[in-house]
Amino acid sequence: MKRPTKRRIAALASLGLVAAALAAAPAQANVTIKVVTPNYTDAMPAYYEDLNARFMAANPTIKVVHENLSWDDILVKGRTFISTKSYPDVLNLNTFSEFAAEGLLYKTSDLFTEAKLSDFVTAFRDNSKYNGVEYAVPDLASARMFFINKALFYGAGNTKIPKTWADVTAAAKKIKAKYGSKVYPLAIPLGSEEAQAEFQIWAGGNGGRYFDEKNKKWVINSKENLETLNQLRAWVKAGYTQPNPASTNRTDAFKLFSQGRVAMINASVFFPSTLKDYKSKVDYGVAPFPSANASKKPITLGVQDYFMAFKKEGNKDAVSKYLNFLFEGKNYAGFLKAAGGFIPATKSASTEVDSSLLPFIEQLPNAIFYPGTLGAWGPVVAKITTQIGTGITKNPKTVLDSLQKAAESAGTN
Amino acid sequence: MSGKLLIKNNATITKKSVATHDVSLTSALPWIGPALILIALVVIWPVVELVRISFTDITIAGSLLDFHGFTNYRELLANPDLYPVARRTLLWVFGIVFSTVILSLPLAQLINQDFPGRKYVRWALIFPWAASVVMTSMIWTWILDAYSGEFNLTLTQIGLITEPVDWVNNPGNSFYVLMAVAVFVSIPFTTYVLLAGLQSIPNDIIEAAAVDGAGHWQIYRQIKFPLLRNSLLIATIINLINVFNSFPIIWIMTRGGPGYETDTTTTFAYKLAFIESNMGQSTALGVFNFIVILLIVSLYLKVTKATRTEL
Repeated sequence: MKRPTKRRIAALASLGLVAAALAAAPAQANVTIKVVTPNYTDAMPAYYEDLNARFMAANPTIKVVHENLSWDDILVKGRTFISTKSYPDVLNLNTFSEFAAEGLLYKTSDLFTEAKLSDFVTAFRDNSKYNGVEYAVPDLASARMFFINKALFYGAGNTKIPKTWADVTAAAKKIKAKYGSKVYPLAIPLGSEEAQAEFQIWAGGNGGRYFDEKNKKWVINSKENLETLNQLRAWVKAGYTQPNPASTNRTDAFKLFSQGRVAMINASVFFPSTLKDYKSKVDYGVAPFPSANASKKPITLGVQDYFMAFKKEGNKDAVSKYLNFLFEGKNYAGFLKAAGGFIPATKSASTEVDSSLLPFIEQLPNAIFYPGTLGAWGPVVAKITTQIGTGITKNPKTVLDSLQKAAESAGTN
Repeated sequence: MSGKLLIKNNATITKKSVATHDVSLTSALPWIGPALILIALVVIWPVVELVRISFTDITIAGSLLDFHGFTNYRELLANPDLYPVARRTLLWVFGIVFSTVILSLPLAQLINQDFPGRKYVRWALIFPWAASVVMTSMIWTWILDAYSGEFNLTLTQIGLITEPVDWVNNPGNSFYVLMAVAVFVSIPFTTYVLLAGLQSIPNDIIEAAAVDGAGHWQIYRQIKFPLLRNSLLIATIINLINVFNSFPIIWIMTRGGPGYETDTTTTFAYKLAFIESNMGQSTALGVFNFIVILLIVSLYLKVTKATRTEL
């Protein structure tokens, strides 16, 4: 795959050289870089328009072509870019390791100085390594907590926010008794948007993981995960959740909560700003996520996204300049603002966050992460995301076993 | 009868005119060349690539590792998810084509009658065909939405249901709802092919039958329906191809989910490649799909040839 691409680039480069010589242009050839980013919020395109204009004004030899895609699209299209070899130069995505495994990415030490790198939060840096080498930088992170609709929750006679699964059951029972079918006590979105996260945060409270980092093996069909799936099924069966959890996307569940139709939900750090966007009048409370029982430690699911740069002939200097520019104090603050209420990935930006983020940052020491540094994680998580929800209606053991088998055949490197 | 005679005369005229010009391949090449190049580039080359890739070990980044023999095919056949998907594809194709034809026959009959406002009915019928399938699927997704869809709202208002029904996502009926939308999309084309068929039936045969005392039903069963056979066959086969290849309805309404519960082989092949990064199995399935289409197309060619010689 590399040969024809290289040849083509070489041909283009030599054409460029000839053109440059003919025009007696400055010594440095013009470079165009393609930047592909997900649409965290609708403020992203305007942010990039301004950023790119200022970057190009400061670096007249670099042209930036920017493409902003919805998350749904970028997950598919991002992969299509890769499989059709039309690599972007800079990509912002939620996985990096599959591309690192293919040898497509620059090491971050090639792009940033060590001083700059040391500003990134250490835990997030550790999650950006493939085979011990950093190939991506974190752009932001999220943690999750348990949100309740105060009016519905306390209105049904509950007094304390659930700490364990049994508490959740008891609270859900009261809410259902009080409001009947008008309200769903608990929303469990296991649709193809974010099912992997929804399942992991419940399973994490039972000590369940997808991958055992210590023994380097997949543990998708573990006892803990099966217990979790059975608990989720029990809630669905008892009528405590919205119908068809396996087809409910996170966005749908968020909308139901914002309309005051859901009493309890797992949601991420940016949820308050989403509720504001939806013009929701729901008065909500935030608490640590319930664990399986009192003997199990409560956890949060930490999720981080990445910036990565693809190796192409002659683009190294340009992508390095671009990423350093983006992570400059003011520009990065703008990025965080446009992305809407996430946890900053740099130490310097962490000192001046909004107070609503503090409870989430407090949870970070209890955070578990996806095994995002595995080369096989991309395809495995894609399969978990589309399949895990079927465990609600099908035999849960069969579903977990088949995911385990698929993960094992994808490998553990 | 005159209609038939006319066609016969035309046929002989065409035959004669072809015979008088002695066309050799080399002199024809400049005219058909561009089309041939286009076909080679956009039809033949992708098929060759598809077959080639299906025999190699390929990563998501497009690195062709090495010749892999039938490994991709073996893995695909060993994939337990393939079989429910294949069975569902059969239901999808035959269910939709059968329902479409059954519904289109009376519809064609209706719009062949003269009645005030017929023009508008015909226009309305063309609509789902003229609109993009993606658009139609999105509109249906919203109409059938459990919480804010018009369909549930109407049913609730007239008192047929008390709680919203999640039409698109309820595991029991999800796939049938998708099939119903596909039938909705397929009806216009089928109806118009059948209408053309009905209009080609000469009036004097029908008048003669009426004079001989045949009733409406008898005329339909013994004269119109047999003469519709050719249009019916062609409509059926073209629908088979369209429905088998249909991607947007399923992808937009359910993404084949939950799991693979509403996938057909077409969406499954896409999922394997672009969601699960499993290019190998996906290309192997692509080759299977291609063979199925090839079989249907050859059936089509055979049928159209047969109908032409009959005329």
